[in-house]
Amino acid sequence: MDKQTDFVLRTIEERGVKFVRLWFTDVAGTLKSVAIAPAEVEGAFAEGLGFDGSAIEGLARTYEADMLAVPDPSTFQILPWRGEIDPTARMFCDIQTPDGLPAAADPRNVLRRALAKASDLGFSFYIHPEIEFYLLKSAQFGEEGPIPVDKAGYFDNVPGGTAHDFRRRAVSMLEQLGISVEFSHHEGGPGQNEIDLRYADALTMADNIMTFRTVIKEVAIEQGVYATFMPKPFTEHPGSGMHTHMSLFEGDTNAFFDPSSQYHLSKTAKHFIAGLLRHAPEITAVTNQYVNSYKRLWGGGEAPSFVCWGHNNRSALIRVPLYKPNKGNSSRIEYRAIDSAANPYLAYALILAAGLKGIENEYELPSETEDNVWALNDAERRAMGIQPLPQSLDHAIRKLEESELAAETLGEEVFSYVLANKRREWSEYRSQVTQYELKQNLEVL
Amino acid sequence: MAEARSSSLSELARFGFINLSETVAKLDQLVKQVGDAGRSALASLGRSANPDQALNYLLTLAEVDKAKTKKLLGKEDSAVRLCRLLGASEAMGDLLRRKPELLALLERTIDRPKSAVELRDSLVESATAELKSDFEAQRAWSALRFAYRKELLQIAVFDLSQADQEHGLPIVAAALADLAGAALEGAIEIARFELKHSTEHGTFSAEEVDATRFAVIAMGKCGARELNYISDVDVIFVGESGSAAIDNARAIEISTRLATRMMRAIDGTAQEPMLWQVDPNLRPEGKSGALVRTLESHVAYYDRWAQSWEFQALLKARPIAGDMLLGQAYVNALAPKVWASAAREGFVDSAQKMRERVTDNISSSEIDSQIKLGPGGLRDIEFTVQLLQLVHGRTDETLRNRDTISAISALSAGGYIGRAEADSFSRHYRFLRLLEHRIQLSQMRRTHLMPSSETARRSLARSIDPKGNAESLIERWESVKIEVRGLHQRIFYRPLLSAVAKLEDSTLELSSGQAQDRLAAIGFVDPKGALAQIAALTSGLSRRAAIQRQLLPVLLQWFSQGTDPDAALLAFRRLSEDLGESHWYLRMLRDSTGAAERMTQVLSNSRLATSLFERIPEAAAWFENESDLQPLSSVAIAAELEAIIERHEDTDTAIASIKQIRRRETLRIALGAVLGDLNIEQVSEALSVISELYLKFMLEVALEYEALDAPRAEIEQALDFGIVAMGRFGGGELGFGSDADVMYVYQALNGFDADRAQKMAERLVAQLKKLTADPLLEFEIDIDLRPEGKNGAVARSIDSYENYYQRWADTWEAQALLRARVIAGSKQLIEDFTVIIDRYRYPTEMKPTAITEIRRIKARVESERLPQGADPKRHLKLGRGSLSDVEWLVQLYQMKFGALHPSIRNPKTLAALEAMVEVKLIEAHDARVLTEAWTLASRVRSASVLWANKRTDVLPTDRKQLEGLARILEYPAGGATQLEEDYLAHTRRARMVFERLFFA
Repeated sequence: MDKQTDFVLRTIEERGVKFVRLWFTDVAGTLKSVAIAPAEVEGAFAEGLGFDGSAIEGLARTYEADMLAVPDPSTFQILPWRGEIDPTARMFCDIQTPDGLPAAADPRNVLRRALAKASDLGFSFYIHPEIEFYLLKSAQFGEEGPIPVDKAGYFDNVPGGTAHDFRRRAVSMLEQLGISVEFSHHEGGPGQNEIDLRYADALTMADNIMTFRTVIKEVAIEQGVYATFMPKPFTEHPGSGMHTHMSLFEGDTNAFFDPSSQYHLSKTAKHFIAGLLRHAPEITAVTNQYVNSYKRLWGGGEAPSFVCWGHNNRSALIRVPLYKPNKGNSSRIEYRAIDSAANPYLAYALILAAGLKGIENEYELPSETEDNVWALNDAERRAMGIQPLPQSLDHAIRKLEESELAAETLGEEVFSYVLANKRREWSEYRSQVTQYELKQNLEVL
Repeated sequence: MAEARSSSLSELARFGFINLSETVAKLDQLVKQVGDAGRSALASLGRSANPDQALNYLLTLAEVDKAKTKKLLGKEDSAVRLCRLLGASEAMGDLLRRKPELLALLERTIDRPKSAVELRDSLVESATAELKSDFEAQRAWSALRFAYRKELLQIAVFDLSQADQEHGLPIVAAALADLAGAALEGAIEIARFELKHSTEHGTFSAEEVDATRFAVIAMGKCGARELNYISDVDVIFVGESGSAAIDNARAIEISTRLATRMMRAIDGTAQEPMLWQVDPNLRPEGKSGALVRTLESHVAYYDRWAQSWEFQALLKARPIAGDMLLGQAYVNALAPKVWASAAREGFVDSAQKMRERVTDNISSSEIDSQIKLGPGGLRDIEFTVQLLQLVHGRTDETLRNRDTISAISALSAGGYIGRAEADSFSRHYRFLRLLEHRIQLSQMRRTHLMPSSETARRSLARSIDPKGNAESLIERWESVKIEVRGLHQRIFYRPLLSAVAKLEDSTLELSSGQAQDRLAAIGFVDPKGALAQIAALTSGLSRRAAIQRQLLPVLLQWFSQGTDPDAALLAFRRLSEDLGESHWYLRMLRDSTGAAERMTQVLSNSRLATSLFERIPEAAAWFENESDLQPLSSVAIAAELEAIIERHEDTDTAIASIKQIRRRETLRIALGAVLGDLNIEQVSEALSVISELYLKFMLEVALEYEALDAPRAEIEQALDFGIVAMGRFGGGELGFGSDADVMYVYQALNGFDADRAQKMAERLVAQLKKLTADPLLEFEIDIDLRPEGKNGAVARSIDSYENYYQRWADTWEAQALLRARVIAGSKQLIEDFTVIIDRYRYPTEMKPTAITEIRRIKARVESERLPQGADPKRHLKLGRGSLSDVEWLVQLYQMKFGALHPSIRNPKTLAALEAMVEVKLIEAHDARVLTEAWTLASRVRSASVLWANKRTDVLPTDRKQLEGLARILEYPAGGATQLEEDYLAHTRRARMVFERLFFA
């Protein structure tokens, strides 16, 4: 850490950085930022920066309002936005209580705790997400809903299109921030894009995802369009998911790889999948945290609405991707429920905890599902023992409420905050009169 | 001189042989090999640590090199040298067998070990001899290592030939450190040559390598010149450019190679085995930091990032090899920072943690044989000395010595430790180190354990003194351990007293500034105030002051381990002033350390117990006897109270005595609870018993002493008066500071006029309220659960109760009756009343409307009764899944099923719950979840009164308070977060069960 700190202080001097933004994430997954002058950075490293935590969603109970943001020097980056006249840098922070303990309600700390548990079992957790989002003409919308920037589809090359420029600019900005991009292309919906980040450990990746969202928003502003990570902005087009590939490593070895078994899945991988399948319904309120998330999960298409796994089954909740020969270290599984609006720290902490539970208790892996589960009827699914994911936020909250796994992983404070927050959202939503009702009912009733 | 041939076996035994008959044959063989010299060897063997072992080696050596062996045995002094070496060290015996040319070294006496310069020249020369055109690293390494062992052997010979080995110890330890430095110097020479002439480890020109300044700083024992025979050598590397030919970055690159190759020369694989590990992990950032840094980068690191313990490690830093000017510059630059570190925040914590870390790391099977790390071991001495150096060295430069022995002398010369203590500290240190040296020398193995076998112990004893034996050695070791353990107190804590009091047995006087430095270092927030308390406790000529002078050093240490040392010291002073000159108190303090320790634990952890203690100081006597800390049985207390009633003529005295007994017994329970002798059920049971008896006997007083208008006999003719315990009191679940919920019932007898009976009963009630009030230990009678609540009559006749319940009673009143228990009154009254209330509390059929009513009230209570702004998750009584959830659920079930299942009719919540599991009303799992939550919430409530002497219904959010509770609840230090997490988790689960069962 200390060499990192030296590096940060030196770079600030050398590059003439004028502001340093300290970033952290609230429980809902919103990025918070506070800018400090370079002269304050050294003090922030040593003692943290005091702020009033009660003003931040879910971060502090009102009575312990004083919190400290302690920057993590390994996350230091100069921000490449064109709009910044003075060079500005950012660092992610860990949140501490005034007596120097990690704050129970800091999402980053929740993920750190989960990773520490994995590390006790000898594992490190690597992930790579495929993040989907829509580019719209603006944040305004009319009667017909939002207006996308183009009408293209999956992998379409749009000559001279906004999306193309946009992706090029976004990718180069991400690279400048030290975030490697694996792949980027136009997705199925009009104006829908996908950018895949190269794999990294889960904490770095969660930080990267937060940065990613900011970069995408910034580039959009730059180019006069609007980017949204809303899980399902259009009734008739696919939603924006954040399919995540993941694997566990033991030292330098991929613990999911076993050359001798089917799909080269090791026992560890099978238990991990089994754990994730069994606990998937109870963590859905976090991986898919908005009312709108369930419109994506139950919007048909290839949405992973049912708890099952398969090899190259595009409708399964967990997919085991095609194995590339001689690349043992690329063995991985893909979790498809999580959407682009999730709080990545909390979501990945829970996914990891669910998988580890499977490993610790040696859960049996149910048999693979080869069919398109959407094509089956209810009775068939019941016969095959395939459960649905929660069908609404309400349903998901009920599952979460009973989850010991979630309470233990999130910590009691965050757990009860998430529940209260989501209950409030649901009850507000429930009282809405929607376009749908007006259209269907007003004229006939 | 005896001849071998004619030696009797008992003579051999006298010389110290163990395998006697074998020895005869072996001696014969020796004589056969080396002639007469073999005969005279017997006496020399007798002066060795292990004659059998030495003889075996002699035979081997005679075979390997007959002439030399014969020559050595031919002269008495060289024969003794050889035999002592072979008897004390198998490793040296093996070395001689492997390299018989070394035998020549034993021909002459060795008066002193070689100086550092001589050793360096010797080793560097041996290494340099190999630095030629056909250079091969392994060969050079072997040459260096062989030269090292050659010198090591001579040091061992010198060591064993000392008349007073303990006295010689510092010389030997210094020589060993110098030898290690010499080896590193030779290793650097080899590494430089290697980098210049080979490209295997990077391409560097000779000029570049020459222009690189590189210094090795020794830390730890090597830095202090007090090294063991075999031990890791802790080092730090400094490198930088020495000329314009290269820049610093390149110099660091080269230095890093130099450092690695240097380390390999010492510990890499070669024909001659490795010497020891070179450990560079004390460097900035430890294992993950750069191996070599420039001086500037070191300084920057210590300025900015270093932890307190890293400064403590620097205490012993010394340039040892390489560029000595650079090394000295390093030490000069960092030394001032070491001494400023004691002023840093967190110094106390880190010093204490350092000590805990050490004791935590020892496995329990080893703890008794540990010479270094166990209690009373070397580490204890080193810890005390270093702590004193850091505390006082800030202002006194004379204390800045590296090695332990001269640090002790300096502390003594500066007046920080008494001369006598310094002497024994120094003596014990040498003795323990000598043991360590001898044990390591035997096999050249890095160990700090006393050998377990009798033979090995015997050799050890004889290696120190040929006339020694295992028993007396172990005896001395054990007594040294005991003394060393006590010395920390005598040296660190006891002089604190000398700052404020005259100690007759000590010439030492600390200034009050010095004493305050020490008090602050062990965690007193107000060292000046603490010193004033100490002065008050120890000044004067009284016996008490004399005993407290003896005792305070250890008490101070205990206080400093508690949560609030300042408050505990103050409480102790008050207690001590109250008890004055009581004979038993002083005796207890003086003679019973267990008792005194338990007392300090109470004083520093419980304000409730402390405040009661001040009222009843004589309770200090209980600490001596564990059974005195168990609650008295209800029979015993009742007997005592009865005796008071019978004995006293005078009302006031009787009342005062009864009150005193209640306070005394409450204190007893509090002590048991703080010390962890009682669990929560025992505590609440005992508190309920004492409250019950208190009320009962105060009723007796009211009747007996004509406090009323009529004489007792007349009242008893007219009135059968009873007390009904309700709520937690009824359930026998009182906590510290709980109100006593009651109702009063009576039956007019012999046709006594109803109005007058009611008046009489009301008078009794008023009287009871007056009598039981106690400003010193509050007793609050709460009669709000009576019919009609606050508007109702304070007492009712049994008929009136019946009428009321039959006509008016709400469901909640029936529910309240579930925990009703008549604790005073005639048998008849109890029976009649119980029959009446059973009808309502255990109805044969509970109407659905009644069930709904209870659910509705519960839901309303949750939203309304909770204090404004309180967090329901943390409210111990009305919060989510806490006490009232569990109790209401149990009560609902009792009302629903009590008629059918008499076994569940129990006012005690947990017992009723258990009974419900037995009759299968509740799943065992659910009952367990409820029990856990209820128990934890009760324990937290009880602990919060104990800790703060204040009742609170909320789990505190303040860390310090939470930590105090956690200590009482037997969480380890720093357990606040865990307690919070446990509480929230238990109550969350309980709430889920509650919601499922209660509203189902």
